[in-house]
Amino acid sequence: MATSITINGKAHDIDVEGDMPLLWFLRDNLEFTGTKYGCGAGLCGACTVHVDGVATRSCITPVASLAGKSITTIEGLSQNGDHPLQKAWLNNKVPQCGYCQAGQIMNAASLLATNASPSSDEIDNAMQGNICRCGTYQRIKKAISEAAPELYKEV
Amino acid sequence: MTITNVSRRNFLKTASAVSGGLVIGISLPVDALAGIESEADSTFNPNAFIHLTDNGDTLIYCGRCEMGQGISTALPAAVADEMEADWTRVSVKQGDADEKYGPQATGGSASIRRMYQPMREAGAAAKEMLIAAAAKVWKVSSKDCYAENHTVINNLTKQKLGYGQLASIAANMPVPKSPKLKSKAEFRYIGKELARHNQGDIVEGKLTYGVDTKMPGLKYAAITHCPVLGGSIKSVEKADALKMKGVIDVIEIPRFNVPFGTIGGVAVVADNNWTAQQALKKLNIEWELGENKIYDTKQYKQQLVKNVEKDALLAVERGDVTKAFKSAKSVVAATYTGGHLSHSPMEPNASVVWVQKDSCEVWAATQSPADIQKVLGQYLKREPTDVIVHVTMAGGAFGRKFKCDYVHEAAVISEKINAPVQLTWSREEDLRTGFYHSINAQHIEASLDDEGNVTGWLHRAAFPSIGSLFDPSLERAPANSLEAIASHPFGIENFRSETGEAKAHTRIGWYRAVYAIFYGFAFGTFADELAHKAGKDSLAFINQIYDNNKDPEQQEQTMRSKHALTLAAEKSGWHNKDKLPENQGIGIAVHYSFKSYVAMAVKVEVNGDDIKVLNVDCVIDCGQILNVDGATAQMEGAVVMGMSLALSTEVNFKNGAVVNSNFHDYPVMRLPDMPNVNVHIVESDKSPTGLGEPGVAPFAPALSNAVFAASGRRYRDIPFKPLAV
Repeated sequence: MATSITINGKAHDIDVEGDMPLLWFLRDNLEFTGTKYGCGAGLCGACTVHVDGVATRSCITPVASLAGKSITTIEGLSQNGDHPLQKAWLNNKVPQCGYCQAGQIMNAASLLATNASPSSDEIDNAMQGNICRCGTYQRIKKAISEAAPELYKEV
Repeated sequence: MTITNVSRRNFLKTASAVSGGLVIGISLPVDALAGIESEADSTFNPNAFIHLTDNGDTLIYCGRCEMGQGISTALPAAVADEMEADWTRVSVKQGDADEKYGPQATGGSASIRRMYQPMREAGAAAKEMLIAAAAKVWKVSSKDCYAENHTVINNLTKQKLGYGQLASIAANMPVPKSPKLKSKAEFRYIGKELARHNQGDIVEGKLTYGVDTKMPGLKYAAITHCPVLGGSIKSVEKADALKMKGVIDVIEIPRFNVPFGTIGGVAVVADNNWTAQQALKKLNIEWELGENKIYDTKQYKQQLVKNVEKDALLAVERGDVTKAFKSAKSVVAATYTGGHLSHSPMEPNASVVWVQKDSCEVWAATQSPADIQKVLGQYLKREPTDVIVHVTMAGGAFGRKFKCDYVHEAAVISEKINAPVQLTWSREEDLRTGFYHSINAQHIEASLDDEGNVTGWLHRAAFPSIGSLFDPSLERAPANSLEAIASHPFGIENFRSETGEAKAHTRIGWYRAVYAIFYGFAFGTFADELAHKAGKDSLAFINQIYDNNKDPEQQEQTMRSKHALTLAAEKSGWHNKDKLPENQGIGIAVHYSFKSYVAMAVKVEVNGDDIKVLNVDCVIDCGQILNVDGATAQMEGAVVMGMSLALSTEVNFKNGAVVNSNFHDYPVMRLPDMPNVNVHIVESDKSPTGLGEPGVAPFAPALSNAVFAASGRRYRDIPFKPLAV
């Protein structure tokens, strides 16, 4: 059994209790603090990362279950903060306090990876698990719509 | 206000790595910043600093706390504009807790109101000193030079000198007594759309919040508190928790008997958060619940209704309400209620504290750093100034992080284990043992004459007040907590307000918009109900109430309220509302709070019990706008918070304890419910006023009015659609 996971392209040994959720392995052991704690129960989306490209709530995913898998966090989404979603987030001045935005962006990136031009309803469905208490939803939605064609233009 | 050249005084010794250049200190009398009018001058005590380095970088230090409201962008922009600084060369630094910044407590939507003018004047002073420096270099008169975008230009020769080249020379120039401010037409940043200064770091996950603080040797703590306010620990069985690998200690936290102090609890310290949280569940704690174990919000709300539907204690009286009611054509009455709310910022309460023998350092998101210094100073028996507080970005606060019990607790733990400790409250602890917006009831009776004029207004309110934090024996909200009722710009001539019995059984604390939430709801909804009773169009009817207010001191308030409301209605298609589909409706409301005016027109579609908010037109009049984008964002956010509280969020207590536990049963608004929000800003040259809070109040009444227009159903209890718990 593999005892390491790949995070943003780099292998890390799983040297903690296997039931520890990925969130705390990232934050406390590796000190990748871009992934946030919001609820600890998969209810708010602040902790969203990609597991083999798919949006996953790291706060309820035991790290042992991820052995051999490839994880991407907000720190590894792009080389220079230039993922089309990150650019669209800046262009639309989305963040207020910004705390939930890493999770929002990671969740949206997972959506766009499988859907080149999501409809309004599809965005609603995909993003309903990510809470923003400051209320930036209108801009999040606009930024996702704006980023979709950019992402597919680049590929 | 004083502007002082402190370039040679090492004021930024600890804050800035770079020395040299020009440093300007801006000091306000402490009382002015705290909101107290005073003529007494204070000693020199700068509240903000501008540091222009020799390489041209401009650092602006601001002591106000940033929690997403945008103050750390808006105030520096005012400085940079007057200074003619290049915004791309400006960086903004959050000031640590330090008395040199004056009162840093950030709340009440007051930062812009109190600091806009001084910040501009400081920027203008810096610019004049830079021009004087260039004139000296060129041996010409200052009159022959001007500044433009980080450069001083010699009008005679067209030579240029960059701000960096001039910084140290400018440091030797006298500070102008009354620097000339720009005219509105000359503004480069004020009133424009500016991006938040730190948004690049946010989208890359690089911005660190209170909860992200890391350092060598850091230990992690989780905490639980007595579920009932005033309760205490009877016994704790620690053995199972202590047996767990990675657990360092289990610590009982004492109650701090200060208004925002920790209520006491039990904490587990471990090598990481997960272990601490797991070990916490293995503690077997028996609590002595105390007298508040009787608290049941369902019953309590019903009791509040009874307390406002009978005579209560007089707060303010003018004219003769009884007489007005007797001679009226009709008297209309309604009772409005609302539940407790939890701030629930996305970043839970968290802090790092390291208590050492001769130092105490704190890293935390806080709206009130000086209070941390005071309380920890008392606890540790040290001078407040010996407690160093590093203020981090807050991942939302909404009033919660004004109360820093989560810092007190970390200090107790750190002192005990002699190591730096990060304490993170779980979401459940945040919901269950927080400070809550008041549960409330209001009863209004008003009289109408034959022409539909409002001739009398009786307004009773009952709610456990914030004052109960300071005086738990309070049986009802003190009269001054009802001040906003008497001073509402409706200004009805025959008026009486009363405060009903409402003893607090939990901690009540400022929540974004505070009492304006329920005052706005009652005034805005009742005005619409009165209009229907009088058989009049709501917009015309409300404007008529304002027109009837002859108090000369309230003319500005009535004019600006009317204008905002009328504009919101027009933008929403109010005058064509009869053409809407049968199940759609528009509701309007305006509320004046925190010196700003916000009106909303909400369009809804109602299908059975389902309320869908389609569109919100929001008008703000807050005087001169600093950052159009920041103001717009605050209103979009206010709609979301207004929608959460109007429709779905409510904290319920049973047997003294909170029933809710996480976002599944405290259902804040999510993205699919987001309406289209259009923000309209009133052009104004008046002094700027704040926007963090005023947007929240008008949403719920506008929604109630819209739902009534669409369905004939009137909602008077907030939230309209509570979860069954």
